[in-house]
Amino acid sequence: MKIACRGVLAIIITFALTGLAHAQSQEAPQPPDWTGFYTEARGKNLKGLKQVSPDLSEVITGHLQPWARAKMEATDGVADDTGAICQPDGVFRYPVNAQNPGSFLWLAAADKIVIVSFQINTAGVQRIYLNRGHPKNLLPTWNGDSIGHWEGDTLVADTIGFNDKSWLHPAMQPHTEEAHLIERFRQVSNGGSNFLEMAATVEDRKALTSAFTFTRYFRKTGESMPENICNDDIEIWRNFKNKAPKRDEKRAQEVR
Amino acid sequence: MTARVLFPILIASMHGAGAQAGQVTKDAPELAGVYRIIASGTTLPGGLKNAGSPADLVLLPAAAQQIKSVDLKQDPAKLCSPVGPFRMMAWEQNKIELIPAHGMIVMLFEDLSHGVMRTIYLNRGHVEKFEANWMGDSVGRWEGNTLVVDTVGFNDKTWLNSAGAQHSDALHLVERIRPVLDGKYLEYKVTAEDPKTLAKPFTYTRYYEKLKGEIQENVCEGEE
Repeated sequence: MKIACRGVLAIIITFALTGLAHAQSQEAPQPPDWTGFYTEARGKNLKGLKQVSPDLSEVITGHLQPWARAKMEATDGVADDTGAICQPDGVFRYPVNAQNPGSFLWLAAADKIVIVSFQINTAGVQRIYLNRGHPKNLLPTWNGDSIGHWEGDTLVADTIGFNDKSWLHPAMQPHTEEAHLIERFRQVSNGGSNFLEMAATVEDRKALTSAFTFTRYFRKTGESMPENICNDDIEIWRNFKNKAPKRDEKRAQEVR
Repeated sequence: MTARVLFPILIASMHGAGAQAGQVTKDAPELAGVYRIIASGTTLPGGLKNAGSPADLVLLPAAAQQIKSVDLKQDPAKLCSPVGPFRMMAWEQNKIELIPAHGMIVMLFEDLSHGVMRTIYLNRGHVEKFEANWMGDSVGRWEGNTLVVDTVGFNDKTWLNSAGAQHSDALHLVERIRPVLDGKYLEYKVTAEDPKTLAKPFTYTRYYEKLKGEIQENVCEGEE
């Protein structure tokens, strides 16, 4: 009887421990949940954090190949700025706009991270897929194709498949369809505050002499992301569009 | 004694793998996913099909008179502008993505320019002194497996249909969204009220098929 009890107990212990071990092996470490509305920290709000490439326009310009620099100089900052007329202007500019700090809503879905730009009409939505590679034969788009994976508590996003219609910065530095964006997101603490750090590297073998890198820091606001419709007044938008100087196509062709 | 301690551990270990954070209510279904509106004329099992159209709404006399002077070139749909939830949810080829988050459900539209995004708050009532905007202020609650969304606070810049039917800032939408046919489809019913422009509340129904595919980039790059 005593032996039987011990036998049953041993089976129970073995089963329980096996179950625990199985459950632990099944439970991969949960990635951090950064859901929320973020806005870029600048100046004193950085709490002493140092940005890499704070003067990003200068950094990018220093990396441009000659043809790209010539194109930048030939580009009208108003007529060629699609974002100024509420049209898409790609993902490169949203965190580095000189006038307005970048803001976005970070969402976590089962198979992806979704970054909804506050400038939704122009910067749109970046979906970072966690369960697949880049598709073959990508059609170039404004925001490209983003895939990601977790390296510990860092989300690494890799984006290719851009069209060549957007600019790397509001100062109109061009890129080609070869542009490659690598973003590393992680949470850092400094001065008693938490920040979401974005460390970005941009490569483009056809437009840049070498890759450039920059970091920016974002803080969760604790608020909801407000609605932000770019062409809030249709008449203003139409008048602006009609009055905007046309691109100098001849000159633009010359520098290509 | 030892066995009494170990049995709860055993049970807990068996439950552990299945327990997930973020459960909403007992009956709240998992709505996350990508959905596309079914084509008009399609009949789903059980006879489910789209019903009603924004084109059929009945206007008050003053609004019916006003529509005659509307310049159809000013249609927000032709200006890469948002068309508003009432019109967008009946939009042909409309494709949406639902992402539940903390205390809210975010609805993103593939046609970003016309649909943009909506946020449905599950953890609060309507905001007092809400500044009217394109998408309004949406709050939701679960009635069994149905998400009931109540939206007010619209500006008057969108139209209710392509004929130019106007609405006022008194527009009020009540949407009922629930999974049907084993979650393969969403049933979407909306009732619009506007005592300043509509002769009576108007309801239409659309069905959305759940897709395995992804939302593609689709932006309006000029006047249509």
